[in-house]
Amino acid sequence: MSESAGALLTVTDLHRQFGGVHAVNGASFHVPPGRITGLIGPNGAGKSTALNVIAGALKPTAGKISYQGQDITGLPSYQVARRGIIRTFQISSEFARLTVLENLLVAAPGQRGEALWQAALGKRYWRPQERAMVQRARHLMARFDMSAKEDEYAGNLSGGQKRLLELMRGLMAGPALLLLDEPMAGVNPSLARRIERYLLELHGEGLTMLMIEHELAVVERLCDLVIVMAQGRVISQGTMAEIRTDREVLDAYLIG
Amino acid sequence: MSVAWQFYISTVLVYLGVDVIACWGLNLQFGVAGLINFAFIIFQAAGAYTAAVLTLGPARPATQGGFQQYVGGAHWPFPLPILAAGVVGGLLALLVGSFGIRRLRSDYEAMVMLVVSLIATSVVTNQVGLVNGPNGLALVPKPLASIVNLSPIGYQWLFVGLTAGVCVCVYWLVHIVTSSPLGRTLRAVRDNEQAAAALGKNVTGLRMVAFVLGGVIAGISGAILVEFISAWSPGSWLYPETFVYFTAVIVGGLGNDLGVMVGALLVPVAFLEATRFIPQFGPPGFIDALQWIVVGVLALVFLWFWPRGVIPERRRRFPPAAEGEGEQQLVSTEAGP
Repeated sequence: MSESAGALLTVTDLHRQFGGVHAVNGASFHVPPGRITGLIGPNGAGKSTALNVIAGALKPTAGKISYQGQDITGLPSYQVARRGIIRTFQISSEFARLTVLENLLVAAPGQRGEALWQAALGKRYWRPQERAMVQRARHLMARFDMSAKEDEYAGNLSGGQKRLLELMRGLMAGPALLLLDEPMAGVNPSLARRIERYLLELHGEGLTMLMIEHELAVVERLCDLVIVMAQGRVISQGTMAEIRTDREVLDAYLIG
Repeated sequence: MSVAWQFYISTVLVYLGVDVIACWGLNLQFGVAGLINFAFIIFQAAGAYTAAVLTLGPARPATQGGFQQYVGGAHWPFPLPILAAGVVGGLLALLVGSFGIRRLRSDYEAMVMLVVSLIATSVVTNQVGLVNGPNGLALVPKPLASIVNLSPIGYQWLFVGLTAGVCVCVYWLVHIVTSSPLGRTLRAVRDNEQAAAALGKNVTGLRMVAFVLGGVIAGISGAILVEFISAWSPGSWLYPETFVYFTAVIVGGLGNDLGVMVGALLVPVAFLEATRFIPQFGPPGFIDALQWIVVGVLALVFLWFWPRGVIPERRRRFPPAAEGEGEQQLVSTEAGP
C-alpha cells in the first residue's frame, strides 16, 4: 500500500454499522488510476457495503473517502455521481418502462432541458444537444451489439441484455471511475466472456474500474490489482501473484 | 337546442374541463413521476377556497348582515384569483411535500397523504373562522359577469370558452414537462430511484418539482370549478374524490396526456353523469353510494386487465441520424461537469 499517493480514490479506516453488525469495520484501500482493481472476499466480507458507501448510497459510520484529492465522505449518491464516480448494480436496475435508448439518454450528464426552466425554453434549446446524445448512445449500442434493441422497453430485455444495458448506461454517464458490482452475475458463460472482453477494451482506453467479483479466474484475467476483504477489513492488497502467497487470504477463504 | 339542454351541456363541458385539468396534474405526479398522492383533492380544494375568498371581498361581521366568516377576503379582478389559486396549490404542495415525499416512499407516502387529506377536512370543518367551516362559502361572484352583460346562457358559453382557454394553457405546461428531457428523467426516477440517483439525478428535487407542479395545476382546477358553481364546502372535496381522479388516470392511461383526457371524459364525467339518468331505486342515497363502489370496481378491473389504460403511455422513438454526424468519444477520462 505504498503507492497510495497517486491514487484516484483513497478509502481510509472506513466503518459502517447496521445496528450492532459491523459490515465494514476499518477498511482502508486505494484505487490507482487507469487500472481494473478487483474487490474480492468471502460472502459477508463487506464488499457490497463498501461499494455502497463509496457511491453514496449509504452513509459511513466513520472514516474518510477521498477522490481526486477531494473529500467526498458522506455525499449523497447523485453528487458522487456528478463527480464522475458511476456505479452499476448487482441486481439489474433498468428503467423498465423506458426504451433502451431512453435509458442511455437519461444517463447522459449535463443534460439540457432537465431543469424546469430549461424545459420551458422549448425544444430549440435542448434538441441539438439531445441529438448529439442520441448519436453517442447509438455508437454505444452498436459497440455492445444492442442496436436491434434500441426501441425495446428495457423491462422486456433478457437477463443478459439487462447486464449489458447496465454497463452501457454506466458508460453513457461518462465515468472517471466505474464501480462494478458483479457485472457478470447470473449471465451465461458466453456472454460473461463478452462482458470480460468489453471490460478489457475499456481498460485499454484508460478507464479506471473497481470491480466486485467472485470468480477468481475472472479476477486473475482482468484485474491488475486485487483488494481482499474479510469480516469488514481489508486483509491484503496487491497483484494476484502477491495475494496467492498471502497466508491470511488463504485462511479467510478457507474459513469463509 | 332548448335552453335547458344548452345549460346542461355547457355545465358538463365546464366540469369536463375542470376534471381534465385535474387529471393532467395528477398524471404528472402519479403517471410520470410515480408519486402516490392520495391527498390530491386538498390541492384542488385549496385553490377553490383561495379563488373564492379573493373574489368574495372582505368578510362582513354577522351584525352587518354577513352570513359567512373567512380570512383574507379581497376583491381581486379576474384572472388574479385563479392565478393565486395556482400559487397557493403549489405552496401547499411544497409544505406537504417537505414531510410527505422527501423521505417516504410508495406505501408509506400513500398512507401519509391519505392522513393529510383527512386532517385537512377535519381542520377546515372545525376551524369555522377559516373558510366558514362545514357550511362552506357561497355566493362567490362569477368572473366578468358584471362587465360582459350576457344572458345567463350566453354567460354559460363564455365560461366554457374560458375553461377551454385554461385547459390549453395547462396542457402547454404539462406538455413542456412530459416531452422534454425533464419528463424522461422523471419517468426514470419513477422506474428506479436508486439507479437514477447513481446517475447523478437529484431524486428528491425532481420528485418535488413534479409534486409542486401537480399542486399548482390542481389549485387552478379548483379555482375554475368554484368560480363556476359559486360555492365550496368540505363536502365538495372528501377524500374519495381523489380516487375518482386516480381511477380516471388509470382508465385513461398512465403517463399519456391524451389518454388522461379520455379518462377524465370517461370516469368523472360520462360515468358519473350517466348515473343521473338511472331512475331512483332502493333507499334514498343508494345510487350515490353505488357510484363510489362502481368507481372502485372500475379501477380494480382496469388494474387487473388493462393496467396501461385505454391509451397507454407512448413509446418514444428517435429519428435515424442525419448524414455526416461525427464520431464521439465513448469514455471520457475526466470527471463530468
